[in-house]
Amino acid sequence: MKKQHTLKFIFSFLLVLSSFIGQSQVENSTATTSTKTDTIVPKTERYGLRFGVDLFKLTRSFYEKDYRGLELVGDYRLTRKHYIAVELGNENKTVDDDRINFTTQGTYLKAGFDYNAYENWLGMQNMIYVGLRYGLSSFSQERNSYRIYNSNPYFGEEPIVVDGEKFSGLSAQWIEVVAGVKVEVFSNLYVGFSLRLNRIVSNNQPDNFENLYIPGFNRTYNGDFGVGFNYTVSYFLPLYKSTVKAKVKPKKRNSF
Amino acid sequence: MKKIFLLVLFAVAFSGCEKDDICDSTASTTPQVVIEFYDNTQQSVLKNVVNLKVQADGVSEPIVFNPTLAPITNPERFLFNGNKLLLPLETDVTSTSTKYSLILNSTLPASTNEDFLEFNYTTNTVYISRACGYKITYDLDETNPVVKTDSATLDGEWIQNIDIETTNIDDEKTTHIKIYF
Repeated sequence: MKKQHTLKFIFSFLLVLSSFIGQSQVENSTATTSTKTDTIVPKTERYGLRFGVDLFKLTRSFYEKDYRGLELVGDYRLTRKHYIAVELGNENKTVDDDRINFTTQGTYLKAGFDYNAYENWLGMQNMIYVGLRYGLSSFSQERNSYRIYNSNPYFGEEPIVVDGEKFSGLSAQWIEVVAGVKVEVFSNLYVGFSLRLNRIVSNNQPDNFENLYIPGFNRTYNGDFGVGFNYTVSYFLPLYKSTVKAKVKPKKRNSF
Repeated sequence: MKKIFLLVLFAVAFSGCEKDDICDSTASTTPQVVIEFYDNTQQSVLKNVVNLKVQADGVSEPIVFNPTLAPITNPERFLFNGNKLLLPLETDVTSTSTKYSLILNSTLPASTNEDFLEFNYTTNTVYISRACGYKITYDLDETNPVVKTDSATLDGEWIQNIDIETTNIDDEKTTHIKIYF
């Protein structure tokens, strides 16, 4: 059952990714036609630093009493299409499952790059991107309470064992595939949404317990996979402008 | 239009995620004590007990061995016939002993014989999974693993001999205790 769901998820996720490919191609064709009509105007693009915050984690901290979290995001435009991207966050989450109640708290860092697949119109800097991150998290888990699983009910239903044992010094590392959009809503102010699919690389598990939630990675599933998303608001700090080199087309002309 | 299309796609992507918090029935959970009955005269031969009724100290009802028998008041639900008996031990983490009454030939007042077995142990709490939580495993006491006593009516002990095969009750794959009668 679980494997089926994981598989189902992967396929669905790939489906989402494929939609971006479709989008980018559509925009590409319009962009190329537009450049054909106004090739004379030199196209300049702005390079700089963008930093912001994950609104979802921030608001969730207000309305969900078992959750406190903050994620700061930042990216730096390296080339026309490539961005270095970083997320730094802290989470404190209490999970109340049927048989175990635990609190995880810790800090995480994700670093990697984004590739912008969106061909912008003149003066625009929106993104439809895919990216990759390497995530690191250092955290602790506190087992608040648990129940004993007993298939024979002869002695009655098990009472909840109140515990409070703390497992410290835990860590995990993972790879994250990112797909998302960033749109400039006001001058230099961006909102973005991204979906993430995570795969654990290394996981330092406690004795007689399990890393059931990893800050930054989110809930762990049996097959080392995880999912996440963020909803960001960020500010773009322009540092310099660069003229886009017109695509060299003399070869085409020669062929005519 | 495109935005709606994207939203639908995101929804589809997440529809694959469902709660995986149902404990798998094949998971190794809290084990019961596995007891095998042998013939005391030929100690390598399994011998069936007849109409054995088993009840733990402090529990109001004997163990139900035939849950499919109707109606619920049917006394035959409590009867065990066979040579391999699984007995649950108390699952309180602080529990150190469980006492059972074993009544042989419980349906025939003339030949009924009751013996008590008291299992002494220490418990360990072992993590299984998110869905199953924890289980308990038992380490039988080295000096007094199982204490056998006769019933108050002093009808003599039907259990002749007890062999402890292993003191570690971690699973139900092996026989833990052999009883000769």
